[in-house]
Amino acid sequence: MSARIAVPVFPGTNSEEETVRLLRDCGGNAELVHWSSPELLAGYDAYVLSGGFAYEDRVRAGAIAAHDRIMDYVIDAAGNGKLIFGVCNGAQILLEAGLVPGTAGLRKPTAAFTKNAPVPHFVCRHVYLKLMIEPERCAVTASLPRGALVPAWAAHAEGRLAATPERLNEIVSGNHLAFVYAHADGRVDVAAAPNGSALGCAGLVNGRGNVLAIMPHPERDGWNFNHLDRSEGESVLAPSGGAILFRSFVEALS
Amino acid sequence: MAERPSAVAQGPSGTSNVALRDDELQRIKQRLGRDPSVVELHAFDAQWSEHCSYKSSRSHLNALPSSGAAVVLGPGEDAGALHLGTHAGERYAVVVAHESHNHPSQVVPFEGAATGIGGIVRDVLCMGAEVIAVADPLRFGRNAHARHVAVGVVDGIGSYGNAIGVPNLAGDVYFDAGFDDNCLVNVVALGIVKEAELIHSYAPKGAEDWAIVLVGKATDPSGFGGASFSSLTLDARESETNKGAVQVPDPFLKSVLMRATYRVLSLLRERKVTAALKDLGAGGIMGCSAEVTAHGGYGAEIDLDLVNVAVDGMPPEVIAVGETQERLLWILPPDVAAEVVRIYNDDFTLPQVAYNARAAVIGRVTGDRRYVLRYRGAVVMDVDNQFLTGSIRDDLPYTEVIRHDVPAQEPMDVDVAALLPRVLGHRDVASREPLYRRYDAVVRGCTVLPRGAADAGVLAPIPGSPLGVALSVAGNPRYGRIDPGYAAEHAVVEAMRRVVAVGARPAGLTDCLNFGNPRKPEQYGEFVTAVEGLARAATELDLPFVSGNVSLYNESARGRAVPASAIVACIGTFEDVAGVVTPGLKQAGSALLWIGSREFVLGGSVISDLLGLEGALPSISYPAERAAVGIVHDAIVRGALRSCRAVSDGGMVTALARLAFDAFADGRTVGAEIEAGNPFCESGGFICEVSDDSGIDLTGALRIGATTDRRELMVNGVSFDVAELYSIWSQPLAEIYP
Repeated sequence: MSARIAVPVFPGTNSEEETVRLLRDCGGNAELVHWSSPELLAGYDAYVLSGGFAYEDRVRAGAIAAHDRIMDYVIDAAGNGKLIFGVCNGAQILLEAGLVPGTAGLRKPTAAFTKNAPVPHFVCRHVYLKLMIEPERCAVTASLPRGALVPAWAAHAEGRLAATPERLNEIVSGNHLAFVYAHADGRVDVAAAPNGSALGCAGLVNGRGNVLAIMPHPERDGWNFNHLDRSEGESVLAPSGGAILFRSFVEALS
Repeated sequence: MAERPSAVAQGPSGTSNVALRDDELQRIKQRLGRDPSVVELHAFDAQWSEHCSYKSSRSHLNALPSSGAAVVLGPGEDAGALHLGTHAGERYAVVVAHESHNHPSQVVPFEGAATGIGGIVRDVLCMGAEVIAVADPLRFGRNAHARHVAVGVVDGIGSYGNAIGVPNLAGDVYFDAGFDDNCLVNVVALGIVKEAELIHSYAPKGAEDWAIVLVGKATDPSGFGGASFSSLTLDARESETNKGAVQVPDPFLKSVLMRATYRVLSLLRERKVTAALKDLGAGGIMGCSAEVTAHGGYGAEIDLDLVNVAVDGMPPEVIAVGETQERLLWILPPDVAAEVVRIYNDDFTLPQVAYNARAAVIGRVTGDRRYVLRYRGAVVMDVDNQFLTGSIRDDLPYTEVIRHDVPAQEPMDVDVAALLPRVLGHRDVASREPLYRRYDAVVRGCTVLPRGAADAGVLAPIPGSPLGVALSVAGNPRYGRIDPGYAAEHAVVEAMRRVVAVGARPAGLTDCLNFGNPRKPEQYGEFVTAVEGLARAATELDLPFVSGNVSLYNESARGRAVPASAIVACIGTFEDVAGVVTPGLKQAGSALLWIGSREFVLGGSVISDLLGLEGALPSISYPAERAAVGIVHDAIVRGALRSCRAVSDGGMVTALARLAFDAFADGRTVGAEIEAGNPFCESGGFICEVSDDSGIDLTGALRIGATTDRRELMVNGVSFDVAELYSIWSQPLAEIYP
């Protein structure tokens, strides 16, 4: 029996279907678990928190969801070393829950993905995530090549990493900065980030390496039909592009 | 039996704020044999408004073709449906709806536009479909207030659509002083459904005594009088009092409501139950429940005390007719109803998601064709359901629109060097990216061509299937001002060209007719002429209209109507999205073809706007249009078509520049060198990049040049740097949408 992956759904989550679909197309055994039955979340091998607007992003994106009963199970699983992967709103929730970078304790956030800058508006833009850590530093990225570029779509109004200078230093020195925004050719500069994120941050990992939070959506550039530049003879329905990260996640479970 | 309603309308408190005319009121009194109650008065006011009844427009709309092999469901319900294709032995349909939210958006731009998305999404959901895309044709004015409207509307659309997780796939925007007092906010939505699982918006056979289930937000006083509000002209002095007629959006609740409804739909499939589902829009609980039962040949009995309300003490007419958002109405067998209520309230916790939101049985379907409302034990409304909802007609006089005979211009010498940068920087040509970047174009993971990437957006909506859907919109207000009928024809043709340019097969159309006051014969004449134009073009191109919307009274207090705006969306299909024509010039050494009309006229063009000139609109030759589509398709089939753009605002050279910009943005160094009469000609057709040895039949095509390996556009001997032009083109709208 292959490892079981839960994709919890909060009220307001909106990317759960494509997240499950890509996990399955990458060989994962994933299913949705609904907020009205959080007790069903016990016993899974891994958890993927998908995008959306859980609890309407009230207070701050992810702030309310971090205190939902769903997160009791996710926090418990993280403590047991199980794999947790959050995308966009899922990433915001993981930060608010204090799981990443995870330097102060549970439900004690030390950084937040918050209002974009300089323009505090929703932005939908194709981007690349560049892997900044040694791949094996994080279980989810272990199968990626060093410096891997992952195509994805940024689609958020609150994706800018914000923290005090001390906490930012802690993120860098603790090797928590898993991904930064990059251009298609791998160059990294201020213009590559769509949201003014500190450190150009697109993703963070916890100290233990079992919890990864990324803002952009690889699953929205996860199949050949999403980009139409496939190699000759390949099915238009085959996973590709951003699927590289989902595949690495599924491989880490086998 | 009919009881006499207890509360009878008396004096100003009962009759103020209703838009019913005296003759209509007399007809009601005569039919009832008494004065209507307050509730009845407001019910007829909503139900007989133009917004609900299409009383003046319906007879003309019958002229639109609405049948054909691809039509799964024509106009008449909440949305229409077109055949998409077969996957795993199942036939799939694309559900298509088109609405306007013009009046609310002018008064409160953010909420007005957001509720527009909310309403159209419910129209698609009600057909049993999963909502897969929205698109927004927008028309804004150019004064300071219009700018405030333009910002609020875009933020409203974004905040709502992004939250519910439906990608914004297509749309357009024009800025024209004709919309200073009345913006246009149209919205198109698409859904996907197995054809065998379409749900209708009328009570099915054998539905007598079935439960009427109201689902969603607690009914509140917002949106009271909305239907009649939409059928009045806007008076700036009254806009404050009108604000109460605009509904309040709740995308968070809608997101949950959509997902819960998908769960209910799968329960009904398991149980093989044929139910009815309808969106609550104009006329609120009353309008929705009356129509869904009347169209099945039934009556209804509803107890307003069973309606979940947000505040106590609301008068019965407000509960009955108020247009609170985020509500749906099911007609279900009683045993299934209980289970459906549980899914909404327990599995999806509606009461915890929004204050007093829930699903509840509020009444039953009756066999006697009476529409009865009870409130606190008393009957407050009791009327013949067919009389209430039946077709009232109002054949208004109109003035024939005279087509102005504008003499054909002598070909003018255009200064390409001076004009091209001005054309590309024109507000109606410049990049729309600053605007659509605020919309989520890729949620659901099905997007093939996102908004702005090409002439149409493309989706692969069925997991595991290569079937594809393309969506485009068109409707040039500069054309509308010159000739409403011809503008409507151009809107059809241009919308079609746009889906052809991405490689899709055009399948069908939907329209929104935005016009002035139907009680002014000269304004109504524009509407009548436009419908004739739509019908002519659709018939000639063999494309059915499967849904549509009419928005009249787009006239300011000063008596000025908006430019005639027949806005058309075209739906195209792909058997395999691998056949999509991808954006941007591909390589040096390709032939560049101009396919289609090359007639040079100034009317309605961007350069006429820039230079203050006038002229006739381009003529349309339908045989030539069909031939041009045939050439593009032939080039695709032969594998010769490398890139393509439909010629539109800014003319042929703008289409070519867009192809060069897309290559530039994608990091390819490809340019073009062309020699072609007047490059600003907007008469239509396509610019195609084809392999030089393609062997396609070039009858009707003109070879205007070739692609080069330089980042340069060489137009009639004048050289432009692509990067410089790109910068001019990409900036202007960032001023409004930073």
